[in-house]
Amino acid sequence: MLAARAITRRFGRTLALDGVDFEAHAGEIHALLGENGAGKTTLMNVIAGATRPNSGEVTLDGAALNAGSPQEALKAGIAAVHQSPMLFERMSWEENLALGGFGRRGRYDLRAVAAEAAALASQLGLKLPPPRAILEQRSVSERVRLELLRALSFEPLVLILDEPTSVLAPSELAGFLELLERLRAEGRIVVWITHKLAEARAAADRITVLRQGRVVARAISPETPERELAQLMLGELAPPDAAAIPKGGSGQSVLLLDNLLLIEDGRSIIDGLTLELSGGEITGLAGVDGNGQTELVELLARVRTPSGGSIRLSARTEAAEIAVIPQDRDHDGLVLDMTLWENLLLEPGLRERFTNGSWLDVAKARALGADVIARYKIRAASPDALAAELSGGNRQRLEVARAMSLKPKVIIAHNICRGLDLAATADVHRALVDFAAAGGAVLLISSDLDELLALCGRLFVISRGKIRETEPAERTPERLGLLMAGAWS
Amino acid sequence: MLWPLIKSAAALALAIALISIVLVALGVSPVAVFAALAEGAFGSWYAFTDTVVKATPLVFTGLAIAVAFSAALWNIGADGQLLVGAILSGAIGPFLGGWPRPIAITIVLVAGALGGAIWGGLAGWLRARRDVNEVISTIMLNFVAVQTLSWCVHGPLMEATRAYPASTPIAESAHLGFYFPPSRLNLGIAIGIILAIGCHLLLFRTSFGFELRAMGRNRRAAAFFGLPIASLTVRVMALSGALAGLAGSVQVASITHRLYEKLSPGWGYEAIAVALVARLNPIGIVAAAFLFGALDNGSQAMQRAVGVSPVLVQVIEGMVILILLAFDTPIWSRLGGRLGGAKGPAHAPALSPDA
Ligand SMILES: Nc1ncnc2c1ncn2[C@@H]1O[C@H](COP(=O)(O)OP(=O)(O)O)[C@@H](O)[C@H]1O
Ligand SMILES: [Mg+2]
Repeated sequence: MLAARAITRRFGRTLALDGVDFEAHAGEIHALLGENGAGKTTLMNVIAGATRPNSGEVTLDGAALNAGSPQEALKAGIAAVHQSPMLFERMSWEENLALGGFGRRGRYDLRAVAAEAAALASQLGLKLPPPRAILEQRSVSERVRLELLRALSFEPLVLILDEPTSVLAPSELAGFLELLERLRAEGRIVVWITHKLAEARAAADRITVLRQGRVVARAISPETPERELAQLMLGELAPPDAAAIPKGGSGQSVLLLDNLLLIEDGRSIIDGLTLELSGGEITGLAGVDGNGQTELVELLARVRTPSGGSIRLSARTEAAEIAVIPQDRDHDGLVLDMTLWENLLLEPGLRERFTNGSWLDVAKARALGADVIARYKIRAASPDALAAELSGGNRQRLEVARAMSLKPKVIIAHNICRGLDLAATADVHRALVDFAAAGGAVLLISSDLDELLALCGRLFVISRGKIRETEPAERTPERLGLLMAGAWS
Repeated sequence: MLWPLIKSAAALALAIALISIVLVALGVSPVAVFAALAEGAFGSWYAFTDTVVKATPLVFTGLAIAVAFSAALWNIGADGQLLVGAILSGAIGPFLGGWPRPIAITIVLVAGALGGAIWGGLAGWLRARRDVNEVISTIMLNFVAVQTLSWCVHGPLMEATRAYPASTPIAESAHLGFYFPPSRLNLGIAIGIILAIGCHLLLFRTSFGFELRAMGRNRRAAAFFGLPIASLTVRVMALSGALAGLAGSVQVASITHRLYEKLSPGWGYEAIAVALVARLNPIGIVAAAFLFGALDNGSQAMQRAVGVSPVLVQVIEGMVILILLAFDTPIWSRLGGRLGGAKGPAHAPALSPDA
């Protein structure tokens, strides 16, 4: 039996785990469920020795583990597969496995490593990347599979998986579940970390729910109704009311993209794109990543200049009234090493509001930070918390809050709910819906069809830099999928 | 702001402890060594003022480093910028005879700042326009500055008798005079402290400072939100160079009054250590510069009293830096990321103080 007792772990002012007790028995798949920022990853790291708790201890079959030593934990039989794989990005997968204990120690025989890996992989039903592939160039899901392979090669008694399905393709899921069931049959302990209710209910034998660093339900049955689990996970659940979603719009045009062109290295990335945004509705733009969406966002953010065509604002809209939320919040949207209030000031319109001459009004900017924390339910200790200390969902809430604080007429949002849990997604959606209902125009660029179908009045599809409006009859996931694949362009 | 200072102090204590072990092993009493060191640095009014004088150029160059590093511009060229500043001050200084003192001094200082700004700004421009790594360009410009100084004092600026490789002395009206002769205490340190406060306000209270720090911590996001990266790069490097150039002109105006070849014993490099110990905090830099000045100053007395080579002081300085870096690895990942072209961890805590 794996047991963690009274684990407390603090990060600066954030209490990530607050006296958590957790137990899992041999021969079970135990789901650890909780929304982003609940403390799941931290708990895993404590159990796997990667993070030292401030207090509490972990035992395996009654023997206490040495806190803060991943090697000890591994020797005792605890292996972890991390959410973001801990691999050497610039090396081939064989080299990574060699470093992870494959092949003979002290020998650099990649062929032996590959053979050993192939044997294990076929036994487990996992697919390996092509020979000598450098990890940097492989997908996240392939990297996670490698981590899984490496973890399993140690024949661990306990296998902890941190949100593995968020990177596995749906087609890989069945094989993956089969694998877990085999491990269970062998009497091992599988701890499956997830924020997806359906998954936990479908696969786990028992579920423990974490919320804000505390256990709110211990080892409950997977038969627990979904609604009840959601309640446990989120506290209270408030997705946007379908009736409140504005459709149709005011017809008042605020922004016109007229025959926009972007040509780079002789390739047209944006190819004669014409689109009119009007107040009071959410306009959707569906597409597979890499069809010009990022560049379109950069054009709208005026980081790039178009090679042709124009972006025209209606007479009553000013340039500063367009707020852009880029898709990569950690790289483009936020400066993680700066405080929450400083991140608000990144937006030029807000910075202008908080400067007198060349002086920043720090007190006022902090006050806005405090206000935003309360209004947008951002879990942060204070406006002085670093963005890096926030969980993904809270970083996104911060970005939305920043856009809203600008009091813009138009919001351009790109994949803003990617990787967010239910609560954060609901909050972000509600903020967009409220904004549109109050007369704002939203361009929601996304590859998530559920999101687009739920929120958008008009819906366009982008493929190879060209766009096309969809007919109502086309708005089914299947038809949209075909359109996104470029069946028309 | 307090926590980083405590960390730095702890690193110093640890370095001293480690050195003590070595000294004991060598059969020298550490107490005697450090007592002599302290005596040399603070033992008398004269010793104390000389510590201040030795700290002064480190304050200016330390600030130069802090400003550039806060923007993730790795200016290794403070020494060259200092020399170019000194050259301009030393070149214009002799012609200021008869000018009113405040004006003459201002001209000399402005010339120094300008020289440094040009030298730093050049590296900034190369980075902004041609994407030349500023680490490389500033190091190269250091060599150019050293040789230019050498040529100046052997050539165009050589003093009238042509006997010494030194320049014509600057006019008396441009001297930053000593307040309490024979002590060499002068206005330089006061200017340094005022600039430190100014840099602190600039970094943490102005929109320019905000943009600079945002660029330093996430260039991509800064670009996305429309910060003028190229122009910021040039302006930050010019400002950094100006601060380093002032170090040179203050030194010429207050202490040497003329140019000669070995004008800087490497203040521009030592400044990197000063700035790192101070965690790039401008106020902390005054304290760190004072510490380094004291070590420099005390080392002579230490040699005289207990016969330990002054090099020991450099060992202490080096150890303080290493200890700090060892407990603050993000500095490396950021610097290494820049040098190696690799991406460091996206959320590595910044090498920078909080206001
Ligand atoms: N290294 C860290 N430094 C600071 N805060 C952290 C760190 N790791 C996690 N946290 C904080 O602890 C809380 C729990 O995080 P985490 O365990 O990653 O949640 P989960 O995996 O459930 O999404 C969050 O508020 C997060 O911001
Ligand atoms: Mg997690």
